[in-house]
Amino acid sequence: MMEIFFPDSLDELWAIMSANPGGAVMAGGTDLLVRIRKTGRKPPALFCLERIDELKQIRENEKVIFIGAYVTHQRLLENLTVQKRLRALWDAVSVLGSPPVRHSGTIGGNLCTASPAGDTLPPLYVFGAEVDIRSKSNKRSVSVAEFITGPGRTSLHSGEIVTRVSIPLPAPGTISRYYKAGKRKAMAITVASMAVQAKKDENGIIELIKLAWGSAGATVVTLPEAEEFLRGHTLSEERLRQAGKLVSAGVTPIDDIRGSAAYRRMVAGNLLLRLAHEN
Amino acid sequence: MLREPLTVGMNAPRADAFTKVTGKEQYAADYYPPNLLWCGVKRPSYAHALIRSIDISRAKEMPGVAAVLTHKDISGSNRLGILEKDQPVLAEDTVRHYGDSIALVLAESRYTLQQALELISVEYEPLPAVFDPEAAMLEDAPVLHPGRKHAFLETEAGVAWLEDDGALVIVASTQTPFRDRTEISHALGIPSCRIRVIAPYLGGGFGGKDGITVQAFLALAAQHSGGRPVKMWYSREESFLAGTKRHPAILKYSLGCDQEGILHALDCRIVMDTGAYASLGCEVLALAMEHAGGPYRIPHASIEGIAVYTNNPVAGAFRGFGAPQAHAAIEQVIDELARIAGFDPLEFRLKNAVSRGDTTPSGVTLTQSTGILACLETARDSAAWRERERWESLAPPFKKRGTGIAAINHGIGYGPVIPDNANAKIELTGEGRLIIYAGVSDMGQGNAATYLQIAGDILSQTLDNMELVLPDTAQTLPSGSSSASRTTFTFGNALIGAAQALRKRILERASLLFTYQFFEHVRAEDLGLVPGHVRHIPTGREIHLSFVSTTMDQSERTAANSYTCPVNRQKPPTGGSLRIHGYPHRVYSFGVNLVRLEADILTGEVTVCDFIAFTDAGRIINPELFDQQVHGGIAQGLGYTLFEDFLVSEGRILTGDFGAYILPTALDIPDIQSIAIPLQEEDGPYGMKGVGEITINGAFPAVANALARVCKTRISSGPLTAEKVLAAISRNEVGKNR
Repeated sequence: MMEIFFPDSLDELWAIMSANPGGAVMAGGTDLLVRIRKTGRKPPALFCLERIDELKQIRENEKVIFIGAYVTHQRLLENLTVQKRLRALWDAVSVLGSPPVRHSGTIGGNLCTASPAGDTLPPLYVFGAEVDIRSKSNKRSVSVAEFITGPGRTSLHSGEIVTRVSIPLPAPGTISRYYKAGKRKAMAITVASMAVQAKKDENGIIELIKLAWGSAGATVVTLPEAEEFLRGHTLSEERLRQAGKLVSAGVTPIDDIRGSAAYRRMVAGNLLLRLAHEN
Repeated sequence: MLREPLTVGMNAPRADAFTKVTGKEQYAADYYPPNLLWCGVKRPSYAHALIRSIDISRAKEMPGVAAVLTHKDISGSNRLGILEKDQPVLAEDTVRHYGDSIALVLAESRYTLQQALELISVEYEPLPAVFDPEAAMLEDAPVLHPGRKHAFLETEAGVAWLEDDGALVIVASTQTPFRDRTEISHALGIPSCRIRVIAPYLGGGFGGKDGITVQAFLALAAQHSGGRPVKMWYSREESFLAGTKRHPAILKYSLGCDQEGILHALDCRIVMDTGAYASLGCEVLALAMEHAGGPYRIPHASIEGIAVYTNNPVAGAFRGFGAPQAHAAIEQVIDELARIAGFDPLEFRLKNAVSRGDTTPSGVTLTQSTGILACLETARDSAAWRERERWESLAPPFKKRGTGIAAINHGIGYGPVIPDNANAKIELTGEGRLIIYAGVSDMGQGNAATYLQIAGDILSQTLDNMELVLPDTAQTLPSGSSSASRTTFTFGNALIGAAQALRKRILERASLLFTYQFFEHVRAEDLGLVPGHVRHIPTGREIHLSFVSTTMDQSERTAANSYTCPVNRQKPPTGGSLRIHGYPHRVYSFGVNLVRLEADILTGEVTVCDFIAFTDAGRIINPELFDQQVHGGIAQGLGYTLFEDFLVSEGRILTGDFGAYILPTALDIPDIQSIAIPLQEEDGPYGMKGVGEITINGAFPAVANALARVCKTRISSGPLTAEKVLAAISRNEVGKNR
C-alpha cells in the first residue's frame, strides 16, 4: 500500500514528510512511476507537489529567471523568455519525451532524477543555473553542477526538496542551442546531446563559450579545454572538427543497449559541427 | 453514407469504428466475469535446464490462492503445436527457454498471484544451451535479419469458464478460434465438442496470436477453479518474454547476370532461428524460400533453407511470414548487382521481372494476375524517381539524401495441401435484418466490415440493416485463421455464395407474396432488393423484408456456403516436404516501394522523407481499408527496418519493454502515398487479392538501398540504426569529405 498525499502548501508538506518517513517526493512522476513499476519497490508514501502554488511560479527580472520546481516542460516550451533568451533550454524541452510527458514532467523532477540523459541538464549547466533547496528548517542554493553528484544522485539531504531553479539571463547577442541524438524522433532517451551558449564579437570571433554534453559520462560532462580551444577563434568547420576531436577524447560515456561508448564519443564530437551553420 | 446501400468499391464506413473509438467495443482483455480468479505462470530461471523438483506447497498454502497446477494436473498429451506438436503447456522435466511455463497459479487478485508465483521454488540442473543458430557458417558477410516483437496494443488475454453442463467456454484474443479448439483438445484431453471458443475483435495480432497464447492455460485453470471463471492477461513484459517473435534469419546470397543484365543464376542459403519450439517455423521458412528469388526470372536457382532449434525465445508467425526476410536479402542483392554491372536499378528490375506465364526462381509458374511490371513502370514514371538526383543534390548541410526502391511479391493463402477453406453463413431475421456470421477473426484489419460491404452489395442493404456475429465456434462456421493474406480472399468468396443464395430465396418468396397481392404471376426477374424491402420494379410496390421472412422457417432464413481456394498443383522437383508446409502458391500480390530519405552525417540518424507504395493486390473492395493496410504495413516495416532491435543475450531478452524496445512514433513515419495498380484476379472475390502482408515486405530493402547510396557501402545486419549508419558513413569517403 502506498499512501498518496497532495499538500497545498510547503508547511503542510513538511508536516506530512516528517510523519511519513521513507516516502518519495513526486513532481510529475514520469520517471518515478516507471521506476516503481519496474522494480516493484513501492515507497510507503508519495508526496505529490502539484497543488503547491509556490512551486509552480515563473518569475523574472532583467537579470534572472526564477522557475519553480513544479513548472512543467510544457510551460517552459510556452514561455516567451525561455524561447527567446534561453533557446538551449527551449530546444531541450521541445525534444523531451512527448506531449503527455511534457505536460506531466517538471524541471525539478528532471533535476532530481539526475539522469545523465536528462534533457534539461546540459542547458542548465551552460547557463550556470542555481538550484534552490529547502527543508522545514533550512534554505540553501547550489550550482547545478554541485547539485548533481552522480548518475541518479544529488546533494539533496533527507527532508529537503528543490523549490526552484534560477537561471541568469544571457546578455543580448548570445546564442544558445541544444542538439540531441536519440533512437527516434519522440519518446527518445538521449543517446548523446550537447548544449552550447556562445557569444561572438562583430567579427565572428568567439568571446564566450560554454559547452555541456549529456549521456556522455556519469553526469553532464563539461570540457573547459574544448571551450578554451574555440575561444578567440571563428567557428569554422575546420576549427570545430578539431575541437570535436578533443571532445571525443574527453567525454567518458558507457556502452548500453541504446548505444556504444564509441558511438557516443563520435556523436558528442560531431554535434559541435552544427555550430558552423548557426548564427 | 449510412442510408445508402453498401457497394463494393466504395469507402464504406468501418462497422467497428464507432464502437472502438468510443470505447464500447469489448476486446478479450475487457472481459471481467464476476467472481473471477486471476491466472499466471511461473517462468524458469534458465534458458535450458532439467527440472529436478517443483515445490508448490508454500504457494498453495498462501491465503487467496485457489490452485497451483503443474504438468501432473494435465490429462491430455500436454503438447501444443500446429503441425509439429512439441511445446508443453506446462513443462515436465525440461525447460528450453526463459519464456517456458512451469506452473499455473489461480489467485483472487493479481497482487496475490504475483506473490504466489514467487513462492514456487524450482530446483534445476542447468544444461548446455544453444543460442547461435549457425555459429559455424559465418564465412562471408551475410544479411542478418533481426527478430522482432509484434507489439500489438492488446497483449495476450482471455477469460474462460465451465458452463453448468461442464462444457468449456473460452473468450480469447485469437486469430485461430477453430484451430485453438483442436489444439486444446489434444493437449488437455478435453473433447473438441466440449470446447467453445469466442474471438472478439483483436487489439492487433500480426501473427502473434496465430495459435495458442493464453488459451490452454485458461482451459486448464477453468477445470480447477471450483466453478469460478478465470482470467489471464499478459503484462507487456510477459508478452515479450513468452510470446512468439519474427524469425531472426541469416541470409547468404550470390546472384549473377550476363552482360545485357539478364539474370542467370541465384545461389542462396537461409538459416532461421525458430527458438525453443517449432511453432510455425517450417512454414515461415517455406514461404521465405518461395520468395527467396523475388519477382524475377532467374533460370538457375539453388535455394537452401534451414530452421534451427535454439534456446532463444520462440519464433513464429509475423505479418509477412518469412517473405520480409527473403526480400530484405534479394532486393539488396539485386541493387548491388545492378550497380556493379552498370545498370539503373529500376531498369534492371524491369528487364528481369516476371510476367504472367513466367516461372519464378522457386519454380512457381505464374498462372494468375501478375502486376510487377505495371508497378515498376508506374514507379519509373513517378516524379519522385525521375527527379531523384536533383532532389538528392538539394540536401541541407550535414545531411545526405538517398532514394531506394524494392520490388516485392507475396503468396496468398495456405498453399497446396492444407485446404484453404471458409464457410460463410448469413441470416434474414424475423425483423427483416441481415446477420453475417463471420467465422474468421478481425484483428483490426477491417475484414469484418468488408464482409458487411460484400453482403450489403449483393443484397442492396445499408449498414444499419446488418449485423455481424464475430467468430464463435458455437455460432459461426469454421473458416480458418486470420492470416496468410487470405482472410477476405477466402471468406469473401464463401460469403458471395451464401449472400447470393439468400438473395435468390428472398426474391423467390417475394415473388409469391406479390403474386398473391396482384392475382397474377410475378416473376422474380421483375423484383429488386432495396434497403429493407423487396420492390416490384414495374409497379414500384414494396414489401418489407420482415414480411418475406414470415414465408421461411429458421433453416430457410439462413444460407451457408463453403469455399475452398484452388491451389497450385506443381510439385517442386526437390525439397520433398515443402508442400506440406505451404509451398508453392498460386496467387501472388505484387508491389514496388520507393523511399526517399535523409541521413544526418553527424549522428547517423535517418529521416524517412516520403514513401510511395505501388501495389497490385487486385481489385479493391474498399479503397480506404486498402490504404489503411498499406499505411500500417509500411509503418510497421519502417519500425523493424530502422528502430526495433530485439536484443537477446544468452537467451535472455535485453529489450523486453517499450522503454528499451524502440517502436517508431508518429514523428518517425513519413507521409505515405498508396498507389494501387488494381489488376483483376479471377480467383479473388470481386477480383481482389490479399493486401495484408505485401505491404510489409518492401520497407527494409527500399530503405537499405537508399542508405547504400548515402553511405556508399552496405550495412549487413538490421535494424539500420543511427549507430550503424554513422559507422558506415565514417568508413568511406562520404565521411572524409563532409
